[in-house]
Amino acid sequence: MLLIAACGLIYELIAGTLASYLLGDSVLQFSTIIGCYLFAMGIGSALSRYIDRGLAYRFVWIELLLGVIGGFSSALLFLAFAYTQGFQLLMYALVIVVGVLVGLEIPLLMRIIRDRYHFRDVVAHVLTFDYLGALGASLLFPILLVPYLGLVRSAMLFGIINVLVALWSTFLFAKQLASVQALRIMCVVVLCGLGIGLAQAKRITIAAEDNIYADEIIFARDTRYQHIVLTRFKDDIRLFLSSHLQFSSRDEYRYHEALVHPGLSAIPAPRRVLVLGGGDGLAVREILKYPQIESITLVDLDPEMTRLFSTHPMLTALNQKSFSSPKVHITNADAFPWVDSNADSFDFIVIDFPDPTNYSLGKLYTTAFYKAAARHLSAQGLMVVQSTSPMFARDSYWCIAETLKQAGLKTYPYHVYVPSFGEWGFVIASFRDYQIPTSLPRGLRFVSVDGLPALFQFPPDMSPLPMPSNRLNDQVLVRAYDQDWKDISH
Amino acid sequence: MSTSRRQFLQSASAALIGLSIKGDRPVVGTFVNDSFQMGHQLRDRASFPQPKQVAKRAVVIIGGGIAGLSSAWRLHKKGFTDFVLLEMNDQPGGNSRWGENEITAYPWAAHYVPVPGPKAVYVRELFEDLGVLKNGQWEERYLCFTPQERLFLYGRWQEGIEPAVGLTPGDRDQFRRLEDRIHEFRATGQFTVPMEIGLSDTTEDLDQLSFADWLRAQRMDSRILNWYMNYCCRDDYGATTNNTSAWAGIQYFASREPEEKGPLTWPEGNGWIVRRLLERVGSFVETNRMVHKISRRGKGFSVLAGDTEYQTEFIIFAAPTFLASYLVEGMAPLHDFEYSPWLTANLTLEHYPDSYGTDPTWDSVFMESPTLGYVDATHQSVRSHVERTVWTFYWALADGLPSENRQLLLNKDWNYWKEAILHDLERVHHDIRKCVSRIDIMRMGHAMARPKVGAIFSAERRNLAKAHGRILFANSDLSGFSIFEEAQYRGVNAADRVLSQVAGAHGPTH
Repeated sequence: MLLIAACGLIYELIAGTLASYLLGDSVLQFSTIIGCYLFAMGIGSALSRYIDRGLAYRFVWIELLLGVIGGFSSALLFLAFAYTQGFQLLMYALVIVVGVLVGLEIPLLMRIIRDRYHFRDVVAHVLTFDYLGALGASLLFPILLVPYLGLVRSAMLFGIINVLVALWSTFLFAKQLASVQALRIMCVVVLCGLGIGLAQAKRITIAAEDNIYADEIIFARDTRYQHIVLTRFKDDIRLFLSSHLQFSSRDEYRYHEALVHPGLSAIPAPRRVLVLGGGDGLAVREILKYPQIESITLVDLDPEMTRLFSTHPMLTALNQKSFSSPKVHITNADAFPWVDSNADSFDFIVIDFPDPTNYSLGKLYTTAFYKAAARHLSAQGLMVVQSTSPMFARDSYWCIAETLKQAGLKTYPYHVYVPSFGEWGFVIASFRDYQIPTSLPRGLRFVSVDGLPALFQFPPDMSPLPMPSNRLNDQVLVRAYDQDWKDISH
Repeated sequence: MSTSRRQFLQSASAALIGLSIKGDRPVVGTFVNDSFQMGHQLRDRASFPQPKQVAKRAVVIIGGGIAGLSSAWRLHKKGFTDFVLLEMNDQPGGNSRWGENEITAYPWAAHYVPVPGPKAVYVRELFEDLGVLKNGQWEERYLCFTPQERLFLYGRWQEGIEPAVGLTPGDRDQFRRLEDRIHEFRATGQFTVPMEIGLSDTTEDLDQLSFADWLRAQRMDSRILNWYMNYCCRDDYGATTNNTSAWAGIQYFASREPEEKGPLTWPEGNGWIVRRLLERVGSFVETNRMVHKISRRGKGFSVLAGDTEYQTEFIIFAAPTFLASYLVEGMAPLHDFEYSPWLTANLTLEHYPDSYGTDPTWDSVFMESPTLGYVDATHQSVRSHVERTVWTFYWALADGLPSENRQLLLNKDWNYWKEAILHDLERVHHDIRKCVSRIDIMRMGHAMARPKVGAIFSAERRNLAKAHGRILFANSDLSGFSIFEEAQYRGVNAADRVLSQVAGAHGPTH
């Protein structure tokens, strides 16, 4: 009894939680789901009057059905969200079916056992355990089930319990049942199905989550530092680091040409270049277009990342094997301590880190970091900083520019349009004055001498905003970035 | 019992959900830096060896904490070198001692200095000397990195330690009224750092009642507000609001108005300052030199420490002042000095718990815990990626009698305290035992001066602080409470008073 009640409530809680996770607005989701569920229970209770023969047989069947439908409900919903448009329809259908079945359970059970006890005791007994089970379920769900098992496996576990109840009933009500043997075989089969489901649940979740990426995943790896995912759709390869898009092979040339050439072409005789971040080798590919450059030092935290872009044929085709060049020296290190401890000087420094989504990454966008990096600039040196979008994260972009200024550098902000990103911004910073270059390497697809001056013009909707600088002890940038993207998504 | 029950529940729930139990990490560790025995030798007036050698110095500084080292820093800076500093332990630093392992340096006690205001002249001078303050700018790397502090309450983390979520309008009103009162007190200029500058007899009535009573008198009875006040008093004074003078409670808030988002901190806490001071005056420091007797000798003194008699003209007594009555021949016992017992622990974590909750934060506090939470030693690192770390766990034994808590500290073994610490952390991090591999524990019987009712305006305290003879007292307890700025002020001040007398005796110094 206790278990039956618990199972019923658990399916409802799972549906509510899943809907809140995936659709948001938990108040709406829980209210509508509880409403539908209770209403469906009412329907179930009303329908119970039409069942007048084979009560025990039908009770076992209801338990079995509940086990199957409830048990797989969570997995079905996950997959429905990832692969179909009909998530809500399926969800409410499942809630109603489960509700009707649960609504049937109790009246049937009361009628089955009414011959054995006084009616007064039957009602008291059944309802007491019903409510007790509900309490157990409502406590178990947030404390143990969700944190330790997750939604998919919790549903399957309770599906198994339902089926076990069915199996148990075949023994309990053996006298009232006609085809005990068949029912028991049925139970065992369903049990096996759910058992396999439980063991494979992780796969189902992954398959569903993978579909959050639009395209086929060709590579996925959890490294010590991040989650690397590569996807491909026809000729478009996309790199995601910890779910953030890093590039699309269709338009990355726009990003990387704009990152490198406006700065590097303005340096009279560049010999030594430093790249911080940029483990995909695409910035290095652009830098190698200057034959006079003698050495490129690349510092990237994640050895898996640089290894992948040194060896994977699809990726080395993209970066034109830039990491195989004898001029390139790869160091896998945390950039800030590396900058602090290294004493080399460079003519051009490319700073290409992931966006400042957290305070750990935010340290790499502070006055302290830029001061430390600028110490590596040679007399004619320039540096360029990937600075998020001046369109979607306008506060953040101008905060980065201000931070470079407060680090004692002259700043030259510019922006480009990269279709897969939208408007994207960079800042050139140096101790000396910067002039827009009048010649560029040959064979560029996006950056041109004629087009360059326009990149430094900001239309009113991206024009400078007064922002404080981002400092180690007051990381305003991470908060601004968070707010900027919140504003976009609402 | 409790362990087996916990294990039972764990295995039962694990069996229920069909998981195999992931074992807890074995935890090793010891008590460290114990100095009970030395203290008890003094208290019990044990017999000490006769001196084998004599050393003559114009000045002997007793105690190598911030006060003593600041005296040495000041003397040295003024070109005076005829002095020695005697430190009882094998490592100088006192309440600013630090440790280091293969992961990071970490503090053993004091771990930050609030950004000093304009009145803390000596602290600013020191920080200019150490490169912390350059051209009026505080060095960014020494200011506490974002995010600074968080508080665990109602099952979640909030940024900042002052409770901000779940307040009723009544709570808010009381916080606002307290802020207004503090603002008024601040405006009087009578609550300053260092305290001596602003101290005014017109505030003596505030020293005659406890902070708890003062809050009651102000009709500030909010449970949340009182928790926060209590936390602040435990943190700075090692005492509850019941055992703190209202003057001191107000001082905590009214004395500071930071000009920069701080505080100043380092991986090894204030041990960083000690290291920089030792770079300057370390050659004057003699460690493992416990002074056991000070007696008059002509116009000066004979100081016995270990096998050496130091003959000196001046003494700067920078060790906790209560020790003086055990050491100085003929000195009457002291009554007005009370100290809070503390426990600190450094925990080595092989990885952060999955239950960590937010971006890595410097200081984490749990509401309704008797402890003060923990500080992450790797927080003040410029690295973007940290795996192993060290947490410094702070626990002022503020409830109950100090003497009983000292007994408790002494009587319970390492395992008891280890379990107490892990239980406290488990309030918030259920998986902490999977992360911690080592817990070293430091017990301090007399960690901080406690500004109990009447302590600030105690005649005994004020007379010792003013004493203008050849023995000058410099410990922070002469301010009534133990904080860095007070220790540094007292140390520098004592050095200046010695120098002014030496100048009379020996002609001008530079």
